[in-house]
Amino acid sequence: MASAAAPVRVSIIDDHPVVIEGIRAWLNVEPRIKVSHVGTNVPASMSNVDVIILDLHLDRRLAIDDIATLAGAGQRVIVFSQFTEEEIVLAALDAGAYAFLAKSEGPDHLLTTVFAVAEGRPYVTPMAAGILVSDQRPEAPVLSERERTALLWWFQSMSKASVASRMGISPHTVDMYIRRARLKYAQVGRAAPTKTDMLMRAIEDGLLTRDEVAEGFPLPAPATTASRAIRPAVAGSVEVKPAGA
Amino acid sequence: MSSPATGGDSVAARYASAAQVAAVVILLICHVCYDVIIIARSWSQYESRLGTVTAWVIVAGVQVAGSVLLLRRGAGASVLACRLLAALAVGASLVAILSYPPGQVLGDASWAWNTVGWCGVLLLMHRPLWELIVMQGANTAISVVAMAADGSMDRVTAGRVVLVTFATAGAQLLFVVVAHHLTRVARRAAELTLARAENESRAAAEEAVHSERQRRYREIGERVAPLLRGLGDSTLDPADPQVWRLAGVEAARLRRLFAETDDSSDPMLHELRACTDLAERRGVDVTFFHYGALPQVPAAARRSLTEVVLLVLASAASRARITVVGDAAEVVVSVTADAPAEVLDDLRSSLPVSVVDDQEAKQLWVEVRWRVPQPLSG
Repeated sequence: MASAAAPVRVSIIDDHPVVIEGIRAWLNVEPRIKVSHVGTNVPASMSNVDVIILDLHLDRRLAIDDIATLAGAGQRVIVFSQFTEEEIVLAALDAGAYAFLAKSEGPDHLLTTVFAVAEGRPYVTPMAAGILVSDQRPEAPVLSERERTALLWWFQSMSKASVASRMGISPHTVDMYIRRARLKYAQVGRAAPTKTDMLMRAIEDGLLTRDEVAEGFPLPAPATTASRAIRPAVAGSVEVKPAGA
Repeated sequence: MSSPATGGDSVAARYASAAQVAAVVILLICHVCYDVIIIARSWSQYESRLGTVTAWVIVAGVQVAGSVLLLRRGAGASVLACRLLAALAVGASLVAILSYPPGQVLGDASWAWNTVGWCGVLLLMHRPLWELIVMQGANTAISVVAMAADGSMDRVTAGRVVLVTFATAGAQLLFVVVAHHLTRVARRAAELTLARAENESRAAAEEAVHSERQRRYREIGERVAPLLRGLGDSTLDPADPQVWRLAGVEAARLRRLFAETDDSSDPMLHELRACTDLAERRGVDVTFFHYGALPQVPAAARRSLTEVVLLVLASAASRARITVVGDAAEVVVSVTADAPAEVLDDLRSSLPVSVVDDQEAKQLWVEVRWRVPQPLSG
């Protein structure tokens, strides 16, 4: 955890000053975060920041390549965008971004995302969870049933606590399923130093073993069959059956 | 629907194919049986046996090639190939005539006229009639010129020529004309059948649309009319929150009803957006995310799925989040909102889909699923 002595240094890159000011205002309520750089363009090199909040739409183009360049230099990028299309979000994550934050999710999730990413942990917002759970591409990693359930309900709900109570597990375990699903995405697609960093951090956290990372991602122990279905019926949910149907 | 899978063209093609087989068989009998008998019987009389055999072989070759072309390609056979083969047959006719005994162009030893004429039928059956007339004309002209040349053309012979022309060329042209006519009639009949089936299915569709309209009208009458009547005769109080909610729900249902008749690439999402409209106008902050390719959801199932969203939105105080996730097999619709759980009380007993609700921190979280029905096996 970042200590009060060493605040998280954040860069905000957006070609709209009003957006920069908005993000700054959200971050300013948190003394453990310091906005140390703002810019309208991706600078050639940047070394003295922990997290970069990058608008995906710079100069009327999608900055996917900029994400790849920054990720290639080991920079932790949070993409902040009004675009919420599947292909764009998946492309940004594939390019090595740690997190994708829809503008509508800013107020609720920006601070959590910044802290998670500053510590080297990817963060999945509810919108991104919806995209991961409905990813039907052939190259999509295979997720376990519980990972899919956690993603789907996180996408739908207000809090991980409510997902946890519905799944009958702890919020920490919900988070674990979501992170494991996200880390599977770090193991497919193009290589990036940031993806390796995420996996190393997951090993440190005890979320993955070195062997799991080395040999690709095996299925979690209880689920012997992984499913592409959205979610099988989960015990513990209250199902109201139609009367006389 | 009673739409016949075969169109007018395929019925016509069946008739054409029968005529083709008939032409192939007739020519086969003429050339392989009848001509061989004539040639064998008159073998000793031919001026040139080599010429006779050559002509027979050429006609046989034309017959085989023409039959294959006709049976394999039908009307699609190469025009050039058909015309060349027809010309070759007429050439064989000339070779045969030159090998006949003197003065026997129309005698007991002659065989080629009729057979070459049938070759023309075989090759030019699907071509405009004039092509066959030209070919038959050339075939007849060769014989007439040969008779004139060897001096056998007298009045009796001329009479026979006319008779033979009627009997051979006439019959062959008639065959083609009748075949054409039959094909045309068959196509027309099939087209009429098809058109009738189309009319019937259109009438059925219109009937379905009409009854669907009546259903909507009934629904509005049953639900909206009492509300309006109540407001009109003051039995319902416009200041009562329950009445607001009822009015809001009915307004949203009307909105959805209008959206149902819109032409939209994804009716499910379109109708959901229609449901959100009124809540947004009330100042509810609605977010709407949908991911995955949704399957085709039938109208009745769409109504059930959207009904949940509609009821929750009508009671949402300030914010609502709608999500839709789908794949080929299932659609999952959810809504979270600051709404009371009672709004779903009516629904629980009637909704033909599963509802999962979770009341927490004055937030309602409802999930509705619809699965694409699996085809029954066995």
